[in-house]
Amino acid sequence: VRAPLHFSHAPLLWMLRRRMGYSDPSSGKDLLGNRSLCFIFICAFGLVTLLQQILYGKNYIKSAQQFSRLKGDETGNWTGPVNFSDDGSLKPARNGKKRYLDTYDGAYDYNSTACKELRQEIMDVKVLTMVKTSELFERWRNLQVCKWEQNKVETSNFKMSLSRCCNAPSFLFTTKRNTPAGTKLRYEVDTSGILPITTEIFKMFPDDMPYAKSQYKKCAVIGNGGIIKNSKCGKEIDSADFVFRCNIPPINEKYSADVGTKTDLVTINPSIITERFQKLEKWRRPFYEVLQNYENSSVVLPAFYNTRNTDVSFRVKYMLDDFDSQRGVFFFHPQYLLNVQRFWAVQGVRAKRLSSGLMLVTAALEMCEEVHLYGFWAFPMNPSGIFITHHYYDNVKPRPGFHAMPHEIFNFLHMHTRGIINVHTGQCR
Amino acid sequence: MLVRCYRGKLSVWAALCVLVLCWFYIFPVYRLPSDKEIVDEVLRQGQVWQKNQTGIDLYRKLLTECCDPQRMFAVTKENSPMGKVLWYDGEFFHSHTVNNETYALFVQDNPLQLPLKKCAVVGNGGVLRHSGCGRDIDQADFIMRCNLPPLSKEYVKDVGTRTHLVTANPSIIEKRFQNLLWSRKAFVDSMKVYGSSYIYMPAFSMKPGTDPSLRAYYALADSSSNLTMLFANPEFLRTVGKFWKARGVHGRRLSTGLFLVSLALGLCEEVTAYGFWPFSVGLDEQPVSHHYYDNILPYTWFHAMPEEFVQLWHLHKSGTLRMRVGRCPPQDGGS
Repeated sequence: VRAPLHFSHAPLLWMLRRRMGYSDPSSGKDLLGNRSLCFIFICAFGLVTLLQQILYGKNYIKSAQQFSRLKGDETGNWTGPVNFSDDGSLKPARNGKKRYLDTYDGAYDYNSTACKELRQEIMDVKVLTMVKTSELFERWRNLQVCKWEQNKVETSNFKMSLSRCCNAPSFLFTTKRNTPAGTKLRYEVDTSGILPITTEIFKMFPDDMPYAKSQYKKCAVIGNGGIIKNSKCGKEIDSADFVFRCNIPPINEKYSADVGTKTDLVTINPSIITERFQKLEKWRRPFYEVLQNYENSSVVLPAFYNTRNTDVSFRVKYMLDDFDSQRGVFFFHPQYLLNVQRFWAVQGVRAKRLSSGLMLVTAALEMCEEVHLYGFWAFPMNPSGIFITHHYYDNVKPRPGFHAMPHEIFNFLHMHTRGIINVHTGQCR
Repeated sequence: MLVRCYRGKLSVWAALCVLVLCWFYIFPVYRLPSDKEIVDEVLRQGQVWQKNQTGIDLYRKLLTECCDPQRMFAVTKENSPMGKVLWYDGEFFHSHTVNNETYALFVQDNPLQLPLKKCAVVGNGGVLRHSGCGRDIDQADFIMRCNLPPLSKEYVKDVGTRTHLVTANPSIIEKRFQNLLWSRKAFVDSMKVYGSSYIYMPAFSMKPGTDPSLRAYYALADSSSNLTMLFANPEFLRTVGKFWKARGVHGRRLSTGLFLVSLALGLCEEVTAYGFWPFSVGLDEQPVSHHYYDNILPYTWFHAMPEEFVQLWHLHKSGTLRMRVGRCPPQDGGS
């Protein structure tokens, strides 16, 4: 099975072959030889994969449609063929089980038997691929009727293991204390790349970690998922003691009702600066104006992620100094990020890179007593099956295969049921 | 015959060439006067100087004909509309097409109020030190300086304080301000010395100079500085270079000082040049530093400074412009 030679090249190749005295001895005979078998195998594999994709994809869409029809009451104006029962509180579910369809959450106490059952249902899903996404969504939706309460034992255990592995209160950022001048800092990804900390760089570090252990009572980590749109969670978020945000999301009037305005820490991905602000090599004021939207918030950059990020991140610090801004600029410690990645890999989140949301949640778990998550949802539809945008401000999809978002979210759902964090996916009031 | 003896022919030609080279070495066609001769010449001339209006008018006419400094000296929106190709004057076949991004940086039109009356072009030569010319310079209506010279307190007496136009070489930005890639505060602060003057940058002369120059613009605009950035028009620089090459200046590139003098000759009614002295010995036989603020010698053979000086001295003798190479006379009164 040889590729046909192109017309124009054929005589040339033939001549070459003549001159070199080379001719493939198996060219005529290789009917079921090594190469052809290999080729057939590859073809078969590809075909099977394609078929699988098609079948699975179809199934997925079908189930989603079915699913949204069943849950018509949450889609608001669309009622569909579902007949409401007289009080609307109890309805027979699809598979004969009881369904708790209260219109408000918090009806059931955390420790009631019903809630324990519901929580067990989620915990039964050991891996994401075990059940259909729609099934997981339904279980998650059912759990919403229960009040969330922190499980002290689980939480303290979790925090203990986190502080053993990562120790955010002293290693989250590079500081003068944990990275003395002259240290050879190893990059997170380009492990061959080593950055010697010169006095110039050392001067940019803060003296010590600005945040202590369990300093704040209630923290909110705001993801940028489209799930937060129309959630009206702004007030609730603003009432938190400490608010984390990822990748400088817009928080102007258009969105502030949903996402709030309070920001204490915001991460910036250097790729954003590269794309939107030309690496800060040209204009700098537009970027400064963007940062001015976040009052008093500190800026965190993964400067030591790879060699490309370093220059851009340092430029942010220089720029803020030039504008006489008092805003804190911190750089994630590469070792901390590596430790966190290792920690989550054990928990089942394996990806090329963790999302900055997960990084912040990890840091928040050590810094705060209670962690609330808003806007973390990595599926194309919300729990009631309505399609949502990727971000609350746009619908730009990320590079596939880079982050393992669904796994991260699944992990959060588990942690929610275990009572470690509180994941908000519905509307606030 | 010819084929067989080509080796012999070659050696004959080689010997002839060597002879011709020796001839030119011994009896050069063109020879620059030595430093000593120039100093003698300058001393002979002394402080005597007579203004020559016809010379001034002639040179203004010549320069307007060749280079049109009034319209062309800077890149403006008028003379470089969108899509115009600016050919770099210091490079072979390298150009920049004016696009949306760069067009926005240009000034609308020639911002200078013409005609200018009394202009002073201040070079950075070491003769300025202890010259006491500061007050003299400050009395001019339009003061041009080269390459962001320091105007700190210790030099005020010699070089004055006011500035209306200052040139900045991209290489200075590269060396002194790390290309403006990091902190820009140092640059912006050092620019405050020049008040609200024009900064004249040859952004489109050399390939590596474009980015630093544009970055200087961004830095100044970001800090809402009251300096105005003017980008030198490469076409103007090229025509001025040709103008002086025809008059016997054989450098690879003219010095900024001569560009400014040509600009002043084209725009002003009266030009005085201070601090143009490219020699290591002063009029009083004392060694003179290269600049009034340091003694870093330039890259040799890049500028033909002595030739330029000779040209300027010719202009001085003919009364077209006035060169100040010694001490300025102490002025009476407190003005």
